[in-house]
Amino acid sequence: MQQVQDLVTIIPWNFVATICNLLIQMYLIKRFLFKPINEMLAKRKEAADAEIRDAEKAKTEAEAIKAEYEQNMLEAKERANEILSNAQKTAALQSEEVVREANRQAAAIKAKAESDIAQEKRKAVNEIKDEIGGMAVEIAGKVIEREISEADHAKLIDEFIANVGDAS
Amino acid sequence: MELDVSGARIFYTFPFDIPILGKITINETLVVSWIVMAIITIACIILTRNLKVENISKRQALAEMIVEMANNFVVGNMGEKFRYFIPFVSALFATSLISNLISLIGLRSPTSDLSVEAAWAVVVFILITRQKIKTNGFGGYLKDFTTPIFVMTPFNILSELATPVSMACRHFGNILSGIVINGLIYGALAVASSALFGLIPGAVGDFLSKIPFLSVGVPAVLSVYFDWFTGFMQAFIFCMLTVMYIANAAETEE
Repeated sequence: MQQVQDLVTIIPWNFVATICNLLIQMYLIKRFLFKPINEMLAKRKEAADAEIRDAEKAKTEAEAIKAEYEQNMLEAKERANEILSNAQKTAALQSEEVVREANRQAAAIKAKAESDIAQEKRKAVNEIKDEIGGMAVEIAGKVIEREISEADHAKLIDEFIANVGDAS
Repeated sequence: MELDVSGARIFYTFPFDIPILGKITINETLVVSWIVMAIITIACIILTRNLKVENISKRQALAEMIVEMANNFVVGNMGEKFRYFIPFVSALFATSLISNLISLIGLRSPTSDLSVEAAWAVVVFILITRQKIKTNGFGGYLKDFTTPIFVMTPFNILSELATPVSMACRHFGNILSGIVINGLIYGALAVASSALFGLIPGAVGDFLSKIPFLSVGVPAVLSVYFDWFTGFMQAFIFCMLTVMYIANAAETEE
């Protein structure tokens, strides 16, 4: 017959052994389950924190780049405006210059034309004067021969033509 | 048909006496306790092998889940300052649970020995008392027994002592009743089986009636309650009470 314990009893030796077992088990669980897992979790947390830090850093850099870019854009726009307004100013000046030049040339052309016309007119008047003088002398010579000398006649005719010229 | 529900077997008794402890024996309770400890420790080591920070395996996910659950259980019920109780409560729960469930593989649960639960309950009782003294001071702890009036002191002492006794006996009773009922059912099914197949005439009936056919299947259904459910519940209740009592002890009285 094998020895057995009583069914309901407290055996001091088992009692003490169980307390020791529980404490040992506590150490074992702490050592083999919680320590490695907690270390790993801490490492993961560290990694996640590092990722977040990196991301924040990248964000800051990106914002700095963006600000710089915007600054550059602003400057470029200003420069473009400046160039445009300069170009407009230059164009206005040039067109004014062109117009003035054209006006001047037109005036010169007009003046020259007027002087030409006056000269032509004088020339024509002189020619007509000569012709009419000759014709009058001829006609008068034929009508009243010898009555008057040619010199007197010429003087009279010139006076007459001068009057005619002034009247025309 | 005789049914014998006995205590843990004693394998070896050392031939000397130690004062107070009495005879040192190697008995079933201790041996199975060691097996339970080995199972838990090996499980921990296997679970925490090859831990990785990312891209974790299912095994690691399970280990993390267990750790998270233990953390949430203790911190959720006791508060952040009791973090150092996590390994203790986990060890208590794991040992209790595996001890209860180990009866499924035919070993005798260490928890069907009252010494084991008594030891746990006493450890918990010491922790509760320590916490009470820490919170209120030794004078406050003693004064607490005289509340609300001095006459109540004996009852207060009784109720204080009832805590570990009830904890131990509750756990023990549930596990023992499972063993007793399982033993009864196996015995009853064997008798029923033998009576049923004994109806077959001749040598065939004699032979078949020796084999307890009905013992296959039916006890499995009952084992769902008496082993699995009770095993989980008692482990959980024991840890829950531990946590609650210690947390209550830490509450300062207004």
